[in-house]
Amino acid sequence: MNTKKRKKKEIKIRTGIPPSILFLMITFVLIVGISFLAPILFPTDLGATNLRARLLAPSFLDPSSPYLLGTDSVGRDLTVRVLYATRMTVKIAFTGMLFALTFGTIMGVLAGMCGGKVDLFITFLADTFQAVPNMFIGIFCACFFGSGEWMITIVIAVTGWYHYTKLIRSQILQLKESKYIECSRAMGASGLRIVVEHILPNMASLLIVRATMSLSSYILLESTLSYLGLGIQPPLTSLGVLISEGRDYMTNQWWLAIIPSIIMCFLILQVSLVGDWVRDMLDPKLKNRG
Amino acid sequence: MKKYILTRAIKVVFTVWFVWSLIFLLTRFSGDPVEWIFADMDTTEAMINTLKESLGLDLPLWQQYVNSLTGLFKGDAGMSYFFSRPVTELFAERIGATVSLGAGALGLAVLIGVPMGILAAMKRGTAYDRACIGITVIGHTVPNFVLGILLIFLFALKLRMLPSGSTGTWKHYIMPMVTLAMGPLTAIARLTRTALLDVIGQDYLDCARAKGVDEKKVIFKHALRNALIPVVTVMAGQVNMLVGGAVIVENVFAWPGLGTLIIKGAQRRDFLVVQYGILMIVIFVSIVNFAVDLSYGSLDPRIRDSRDKN
Repeated sequence: MNTKKRKKKEIKIRTGIPPSILFLMITFVLIVGISFLAPILFPTDLGATNLRARLLAPSFLDPSSPYLLGTDSVGRDLTVRVLYATRMTVKIAFTGMLFALTFGTIMGVLAGMCGGKVDLFITFLADTFQAVPNMFIGIFCACFFGSGEWMITIVIAVTGWYHYTKLIRSQILQLKESKYIECSRAMGASGLRIVVEHILPNMASLLIVRATMSLSSYILLESTLSYLGLGIQPPLTSLGVLISEGRDYMTNQWWLAIIPSIIMCFLILQVSLVGDWVRDMLDPKLKNRG
Repeated sequence: MKKYILTRAIKVVFTVWFVWSLIFLLTRFSGDPVEWIFADMDTTEAMINTLKESLGLDLPLWQQYVNSLTGLFKGDAGMSYFFSRPVTELFAERIGATVSLGAGALGLAVLIGVPMGILAAMKRGTAYDRACIGITVIGHTVPNFVLGILLIFLFALKLRMLPSGSTGTWKHYIMPMVTLAMGPLTAIARLTRTALLDVIGQDYLDCARAKGVDEKKVIFKHALRNALIPVVTVMAGQVNMLVGGAVIVENVFAWPGLGTLIIKGAQRRDFLVVQYGILMIVIFVSIVNFAVDLSYGSLDPRIRDSRDKN
């Protein structure tokens, strides 16, 4: 027990990261890495079927089965499908995050620096979007603009931007009063220069924390929309698509829905716990809150 | 205070109007509904024109907008293309199922979440506290549709104890309600715990204890009331989440409520159902947030005073 504890402490001292977080980070990188290499490692046509091999059990249940995680109702290897699905889900969550972050930052800077009517309008817009539950923005877009990879990315950006905007706006209003900004302005720096050189670097850590913490909700939004049939459309696949396909075979082939579910929960767990840890690291004041 | 209520109320009305206009414009710019309705059919020019006329789509854009806005006040939301019945009638039929599910889940979340958080804060650092934290992590890690599927797998397919979907007896309520309540419940428990811990170390509680007040009374009367303000704020956010969650949970359990109607509507492009469904939800969420905002005043006299001054 004692040596175990000491070992844990040693890892923490050497890397500065608690072992549990380190484990989550490494597994996240592994899962994401392998799934992003999937098209190279297992080049396959996601629409191709093999009806002779349909609904085979995974090899951990039936040792004679050549398929590690079994096959689905049209004989596609679930291992390969799970990898492609994870890749799609993570890709959309990250791209969506980048879009939301960029758009949110621009709006926040505009609101904070321009003030007046621009500020009023942007704040109103942010409040309005906050009043609509995210799911419904997704449903609305899927209904009127069609669904697909890019649509979900845009939905994530539309549902996510105002968090960053509000954060940046309030920070700018605070920083604007500080001495060094005043000093910089007195020396003749333009508004843009102040934003790029002083304000954004000051807020980078806050933004990174917010983005990491939101990533799990983006993964969730994508999977939910795809699960409801309003996101990724077959033959393309994402974790939500796999779960909704597997749902119909729950009675006998439970693994078809359970395995993608486990992977998704694990992804969300990794991202949100690492996000919490990053927040505590960068801002110890927030520890034990929320 | 009156002035504050008035400005907030005006803001709510303005927000709803803005959302409605946005929805209206986006739907008109996203394509021609007539094309969707006739998507797989052979059509003649005459058919298209009659349909356009009966839907009022031949009018200029501003007139359509005015018509739909006045229709809104008359309670006329047009006809659903799929069911060929008034949208309001469809909503009225299903709203009961959704409200009973949502209210049940919210009640469950508050009744279990708040005591769970209080106990965890009072027994800080014990096994019970750690178990609570563990449960809250599961609560926000497992998405509700996955939780729903797992519950169906376990209780309906394997143990055959509960029905897997639809409504009827009280047994039908258990799984959807638990699934829907899980997220808000854990969020409320976690927040009650941290809010109470923030308050618990403060001097005025020591003062109350020094006076000889019973420990239970210290927690419930002195600490809890101060800790409740952030909890109520989070509850408003949870209603927001609950509404989004209800749509998914209804879908998983084939619950005949508004959520299933809206999702099916989106899949079939029955766009009036989607349009008005979303509008209704925005109105509901705005009113809840408004009510929560007002409730701060009764919870915290300091907020009431500051509003009176403005």
